[in-house]
Amino acid sequence: MTILNRLDQWKESGTITPEQHAYLAGLSRGDPFSVFFELNVLLYAGILAFIAGLGWTITTWSHQLGDVLILVALSAMFAVCFWYCFSRAPVWTPAESPSPSLIFDYVLYFGCLTWSLELTYLENRFHVLSGQWDLYLLATAVLFFFLAYRFDNRFVLSLALSSLAGWFGVTISHWQSHQDATYREYAILYSLTAGAAGVILYLRRLKPHFLGTYLNIAANVLFWALLSGVFESRGYGIWLLALLMACAASLAWGISRRQFSFVAYAAVYGYIGVSSVLVREIHGDDAIIGYFLITGIAMVVVLVVIARRFARES
Amino acid sequence: MRAYSASSEEALRARNLLKDWAGEGFLTEAQYQRMEQETVCDLRRTNIFLRIVLFFFTVLIVTAAIALFFTTFLRRPSEQITGIFLLIFAPIAYAAAEFAVTQARLYRYGIEEALAVSSVAFLCIGMVFVLLESHYPRPAGMEALILAAGAIASLWIWYRFGLPYAFLAAMLFTVWLPSHWTSSHSAQHLAVAAIYGAGLIAIVAVRARYRFTYLDQTYSIAEALLWLGIYAAINLQLSSLELLPRLWNGIERPTDFSNPFYWTTWALTWCLPPAVLARGLRTKDRFVLAAGAIAAVLTLVTNKPYLGWPRHTWDAMFLGAFLIAVALFSRRWLAAGPSGIRHGFTAQRLSAKDKAWLSTGATAIGFVAPQAVTPPQPSPEFQFGGGDSGGGGASSDF
Repeated sequence: MTILNRLDQWKESGTITPEQHAYLAGLSRGDPFSVFFELNVLLYAGILAFIAGLGWTITTWSHQLGDVLILVALSAMFAVCFWYCFSRAPVWTPAESPSPSLIFDYVLYFGCLTWSLELTYLENRFHVLSGQWDLYLLATAVLFFFLAYRFDNRFVLSLALSSLAGWFGVTISHWQSHQDATYREYAILYSLTAGAAGVILYLRRLKPHFLGTYLNIAANVLFWALLSGVFESRGYGIWLLALLMACAASLAWGISRRQFSFVAYAAVYGYIGVSSVLVREIHGDDAIIGYFLITGIAMVVVLVVIARRFARES
Repeated sequence: MRAYSASSEEALRARNLLKDWAGEGFLTEAQYQRMEQETVCDLRRTNIFLRIVLFFFTVLIVTAAIALFFTTFLRRPSEQITGIFLLIFAPIAYAAAEFAVTQARLYRYGIEEALAVSSVAFLCIGMVFVLLESHYPRPAGMEALILAAGAIASLWIWYRFGLPYAFLAAMLFTVWLPSHWTSSHSAQHLAVAAIYGAGLIAIVAVRARYRFTYLDQTYSIAEALLWLGIYAAINLQLSSLELLPRLWNGIERPTDFSNPFYWTTWALTWCLPPAVLARGLRTKDRFVLAAGAIAAVLTLVTNKPYLGWPRHTWDAMFLGAFLIAVALFSRRWLAAGPSGIRHGFTAQRLSAKDKAWLSTGATAIGFVAPQAVTPPQPSPEFQFGGGDSGGGGASSDF
């Protein structure tokens, strides 16, 4: 029985009204067909391509274009974007508020990226803060946090969190093994700060729907940092203990809040960490393979139990 | 022939739609509860995160089990023996997948998917050991046989279990087949396009019967993949192994194609995207529409290399401005229609899934590439400038 047949039945039994039936049957047939998602992706891709091209053009032709022209152009774009956002933004509310229009979020995002570009140019050309790059990142993070909360924008919140990560010295994409110890300390501090800030703001009911963004980012950074400690050849015991505690917390949070990404984090990061320690102590191919076979089966059994008890539906 | 009954899959589709409609407020909570009770089905599902993790651990178990078998019973086996045992394990893994579906009623659970995928992998690797590695010189035609077997097995997995990535795997196996039939690169491109074209005709013919049913999405994804495959086969810039340097420099062109063939494919790269977009719009098919859009963007990106023109730093800006303009114009045009609807299309959000995907994407993309969106810390030798006219920025420090 197709969904259209079911809708007919529900209409006849009085479960839904004829108006609902007509509307839902139309939706099932793609009438109307929403291109909301496609337009959003197009806008996002367009902005990224534009900013990439702008950055490439400026860096390549800065001598020919001149500082004044570049700074005026970037400042104008930046000012227009923020004028647009501030002039059209609805009254601020601590709860989730819908975007006033499809392009609103992307204008703000574009403005933020332009700000980053201009800041980079200013520092590299004029060394205004004499190489105190951390201050730029911190100022950028503060600005982006303000804008994210003012305009209820997750894109900008992610930018803010990544800028803050930059300030903490964390660059996830350029993780270098010889700097693990330094990165690890900053990464743990960053994840605890971001996670705590997210929880505090959630408890104060300030844009509580942002909590997931904070926690997902904080959890991943924390797990990577702890894993890098577990992979050390010496003194890894404390990191393993910390990893197990983090896994337990992530598992408990994921199950209690039905957020199964945290269950997945606990399972994968925990398994990799524990296995990396145990495999060092196991000798012989058969024993190592046997370890993976037995623990793999155990993990599947545990996950199936969790899935059946807590996560039957997507 | 499908592993799941039509009634079960229709019930699952109905449940998904009801959840979506309730989330958007098209149904009251009481209506949703009542309607949901009438769409109960016996299939066991889980969420995407646990599905991925279960897939990972099942692959680990299967791999470890086979490795343990070899280390315990077959110390240093010959390549032929290894291949034979892998060929024995392939149907065992497949049988386990069938068992997980028919007895445990698993549906997109990760476990049965990993077993099915493992069966194809064992089949292909086993054939490689038996037919290729244990013979010297390698017998002619055997590689094509292995690829064909992989493609057929993947197609079966797609058809039986409805896994879209199995269809993609079948397409990837097919890509390498023509290289064993002919040494002509032009003929290879034509053969791949012809195979995908034949598949497309078959899919289009079959899916018309399943419009508005649970199978529509399965065929929709397959059709979109085939359109993209045909496009990739005819776009000589894309399918070249030297893709990246060529796209970057934009001044070279492949030399192993005749001029008529080369310029015909260039014309086709401009003809195909509008045709795919038109079909996607006519059938209101989200995946085909996406395939058309991706093909259109790729045509714009590869056009200069195709023509042998130099790439400019501002090309990306123009592309971005074009994409933004298309999005804004489409939105305005649709919004100007009665109730924001024109020709059955609207720019309004009608599904809670759209919002969820955008939220997830915003979190992931914003943090995965922080260096792209935040001011990067400069190296001591970093400097703006350079890239004088004619150098295309190649000498720039950035």
